[in-house]
Amino acid sequence: MADLNGIRIGVYVCHCGKNIGGTVRCDEVAEYARQLPGVALATDSLYTCSEPGQEQIKHDIREHQLNRVVVASCTPRLHEPTFRAACESAGLNPYLLEMANIREHCSWVHLHDKDAATEKAKDLVAMAVGRAAKLMPQFEVTVPVARKAMVIGGGVAGIQAALDMADAGYQVYLVERTGSIGGRMAQIDKTFPTMDCSICILAPKMSEVGRHPNIELLTLSEVQEVQGHIGNFKVKVLKKARYVTKECTACGDCIKASPQHAPDEFNAGLSIRRAIYIPFAQAVPSTFLVDMDRCLNNSGIVACDRCFQACSHKCIDFAANDEVLDLDVGTIVVATGVDVYDPTALTELGYGKFPNVITTLEFERLINAGGPSGGELIRPSDRRRPQRVAFLQCIGSRSKRSNPYCSNVCCMNTVKDALLIKEHWPDTEIYVFYIDIRAFGKGFEDLFQRARREGVTFVRGIPGEIIEDIKTGDLTLLGENTLLGKHYRHRMDMVILSVGIKPHKDADKIQRLLNLATDTDGFYMEAHPKLRPVDTTTGGVFLAGAAEGPKDIKDSVTQASAAASRANILMSRGEVKIPAITSRIDPKKCTACGLCARVCPYHAIEGSKEQGFYRVIEAACQGCGACVPECRFGALDQTHFTEDQIVSQINAALASDPHDKILAFACNWCSYAGADFAGVSRIQYPHNVRIIRTMCSARVSPSWIEKAFIMGAGAVLVSGCHPADCHYNNANQNTARRVERFWKRMEKQGINKDRLRLAWVSAAEGAQFAKVIKEMEAGLKKLTSQQIQEAAEKLQKSLTKKSEAT
Amino acid sequence: MTIKIWKHFPREDLYECYQCARCTGSCPAMEVAPAYGPRETILKCLNLGHDKVVEDEKVWLCCTCNVCEDRCPQKIPISDLLVALRNSAARRGNIPTRLSMALELLAKTGRSMIVHQLDEMRAHHGLSPLPAAPVEELRDILKKTGRDEVIEF
Ligand SMILES: Cc1cc2nc3c(=O)[nH]c(=O)nc-3n(C[C@H](O)[C@H](O)[C@H](O)COP(=O)(O)OP(=O)(O)OC[C@H]3O[C@@H](n4cnc5c(N)ncnc54)[C@H](O)[C@@H]3O)c2cc1C
Ligand code: SF4
Ligand code: SF4
Ligand code: SF4
Ligand code: SF4
Repeated sequence: MADLNGIRIGVYVCHCGKNIGGTVRCDEVAEYARQLPGVALATDSLYTCSEPGQEQIKHDIREHQLNRVVVASCTPRLHEPTFRAACESAGLNPYLLEMANIREHCSWVHLHDKDAATEKAKDLVAMAVGRAAKLMPQFEVTVPVARKAMVIGGGVAGIQAALDMADAGYQVYLVERTGSIGGRMAQIDKTFPTMDCSICILAPKMSEVGRHPNIELLTLSEVQEVQGHIGNFKVKVLKKARYVTKECTACGDCIKASPQHAPDEFNAGLSIRRAIYIPFAQAVPSTFLVDMDRCLNNSGIVACDRCFQACSHKCIDFAANDEVLDLDVGTIVVATGVDVYDPTALTELGYGKFPNVITTLEFERLINAGGPSGGELIRPSDRRRPQRVAFLQCIGSRSKRSNPYCSNVCCMNTVKDALLIKEHWPDTEIYVFYIDIRAFGKGFEDLFQRARREGVTFVRGIPGEIIEDIKTGDLTLLGENTLLGKHYRHRMDMVILSVGIKPHKDADKIQRLLNLATDTDGFYMEAHPKLRPVDTTTGGVFLAGAAEGPKDIKDSVTQASAAASRANILMSRGEVKIPAITSRIDPKKCTACGLCARVCPYHAIEGSKEQGFYRVIEAACQGCGACVPECRFGALDQTHFTEDQIVSQINAALASDPHDKILAFACNWCSYAGADFAGVSRIQYPHNVRIIRTMCSARVSPSWIEKAFIMGAGAVLVSGCHPADCHYNNANQNTARRVERFWKRMEKQGINKDRLRLAWVSAAEGAQFAKVIKEMEAGLKKLTSQQIQEAAEKLQKSLTKKSEAT
Repeated sequence: MTIKIWKHFPREDLYECYQCARCTGSCPAMEVAPAYGPRETILKCLNLGHDKVVEDEKVWLCCTCNVCEDRCPQKIPISDLLVALRNSAARRGNIPTRLSMALELLAKTGRSMIVHQLDEMRAHHGLSPLPAAPVEELRDILKKTGRDEVIEF
């Protein structure tokens, strides 16, 4: 209850029902908080985020003249906005709130040690109180949001998102890599569970995109560069030449004239197209294109003009050039979709070697009336109609040899395919070899039962091997029916591999351009898996469709409308507040050396030696803090993550038993979120770690590491996003550089350098975070107090020497 | 249930078996002895526990060819597991007579087969008699690997 220059902090320790209260003795923590400097009142409550919980805070702010609030509860990544709003409505600047994460980082990860969890919670509260005392009110600047959007990917998700935003009145650029929009859905024959004709329901939407006055469709286009931030992205798009002008009527007179052939991608390579072609009959735009890789004119000289001669409208233009377009948009929807798994690597199944082993995507094209066989189901080896057909499930999914996740659509897709065969050729014998049939969606179970009633045989047990009879092309499947515990040998005419889906091969390029995070499977990560499922951690960028995770058409469309509506909210408001976390340069201390400007990943620091000063451009600064530790004169500091705020956290964390403690710095986007994820997954790890959050790991100053060791910290962890995943344009390469330099220094001074660890932990790697802490704890156990003491003295000595020198 | 198996085979991935039966479908031993299948052995480990599995004579049918392991989607080291199970089974006396006899012969004569008739045949073809087997060394190996617990010599 000590007074501190008029600072009056209210501390609220939340039980979160039993989530925290079941492990941490919250009343004891509140009691402890009462005697911390600056604390005016401290109390525990069952649910601080509930209406009465928030009312209590508002009431206390007014009644007890609180000027700082500390809430010890769940991760700030969840409820910081809630409590900030509560403070604001009681007249307290929202930046005067601080949170202590005693759930994800404490009660959930130390479930079985109530004493240790309670002690840790006290430390976390003391750290938060220490920082709260140094907080200052901040005012956010407002930036305008351009009322234009870009959608990347023209599958069904991208189409839906584009239409929803365009219908709301905003200008939309739809960027599609291939020659037509439509994506996977255009390739599919019928759709489960309703068995609608896929292209019949998609084509009207595609043409609507083509005619919509608010949509500019950019096909054969790829995003090359994205600069800027929420509300104001500057995008460069490479639009490749089509070599056929808009006047094309898609009459097709040119096709036969072309002497050059290529496998038809749309038909999954089952047929041949010419060098001049239209991707498929319903393509939008309905314009032919020249595949320059195949065209005889690809060296730049016109060596062949047969198609040009055949075209009565003369709309073929070999002189067309690629263009780079500059777009200014306020919001971006990412809908890059999926590729299918290539089963060639599973040699025991013979795909690519045995002609009658095909994939489900190839099947879709075979059974489609517009496909290479005109809708006839035929065996590639002899064009005979197969009598006995097998489907093999989970090919390329649920496997450490390929993709570990369930692809979500292949069970129902097989059920649909089996029914399609039965519908056309009822006498066909169909076997489905499966591990589990996942029929979880609306109408799915019905469809599954219908397939069983129609006589499709479901056998539990995937064949271990397929043997081909070279003479007949027939296939023998060897395996075990696990329900009967009996081996089988089934002779089949044709085998269809139910292949899984995986992120589009370009997904990582888009990820880097937009600073997105991906999960361990390579799908884009949502900002929060439950409550912000279409937002990303990059403001103004939203996710739609299968790019975010395997899903069917209905879910893709639902998510696309959600993403569009999130973007529409931003665009209709027309402005957005930018968090007040930018860096500042103190002109009195700045010597205009320019070191800071060199590390800023956004070129947000301007100035020169000649001018005699450097300054931060607030609107461009993203608040990573990478520049701050670079300044040798202490002229820089980051708003809301100031030097003295973090130092107070370090002081509080190491106030007692420092030798036993691991001080961890974790970046907001990946590592702190990774530690949160360890909590959500209840992965238990040693309790002696104390985490301090910075926006980027590049904010971590070597002086903090030095201070921690001088105070006697047993170990220090610096953790950030994996190098290519940094949310601040690779600012974390500075982290690595600085830690490496510190290691060298430790080595030189004879200090065990294992005590400082650098770890890249993504938001999905809760287990990895726990593993790192366990390893560090094991290392710590081998240290003696004397070693820690000696190292502290050495560092202190060199620090004193340095400060005497300046 | 799996605790005891873990003592011999400390691998969590056993739990990750899908029971997909790709292993059994690939197993050459299953072709010869249809009662056998690695999938079933793994299921028994998980559901019935160590003691029941090592009582089962089927563990002796695996020929450690590793095909199952190559094809297992979960990369479960199935043949290593079977080796561990057989070690454990042998210690409990679950070892087929043909195998324990071979081991005993090995300990006594340094060879797993009776060879004196072979020498006659070799002589007939003008070959020199077989060199003496390193009996002492082999016994040492059997002791060091704990095989002496399984057989008497
Ligand atoms: C064989 C098979 C059968 C299926 N059957 C059914 C079914 O019966 N019912 C059902 O509900 N679902 C089915 N699905 C699932 C369905 O295909 C997906 O749900 C749906 O296609 C997802 O739509 P999308 O727009 O997210 O992605 P996609 O359809 O994959 O579209 C993505 C688009 O983005 C483009 N793109 C990718 N990267 C870039 C980039 N960097 N720049 C620009 N453009 C880019 C691609 O070219 C593509 O046009 C099936 C899937 C498969 C593989
Ligand atoms: S949807 Fe079915 S076939 Fe596809 S991965 Fe999941 S369980 Fe396997
Ligand atoms: S380095 Fe980061 S904090 Fe510093 S000015 Fe640039 S964007 Fe802002
Ligand atoms: S192949 Fe692997 S996952 Fe499948 S049943 Fe055998 S051990 Fe289990
Ligand atoms: S290692 Fe054993 S169980 Fe596996 S396939 Fe070979 S014989 Fe069968």
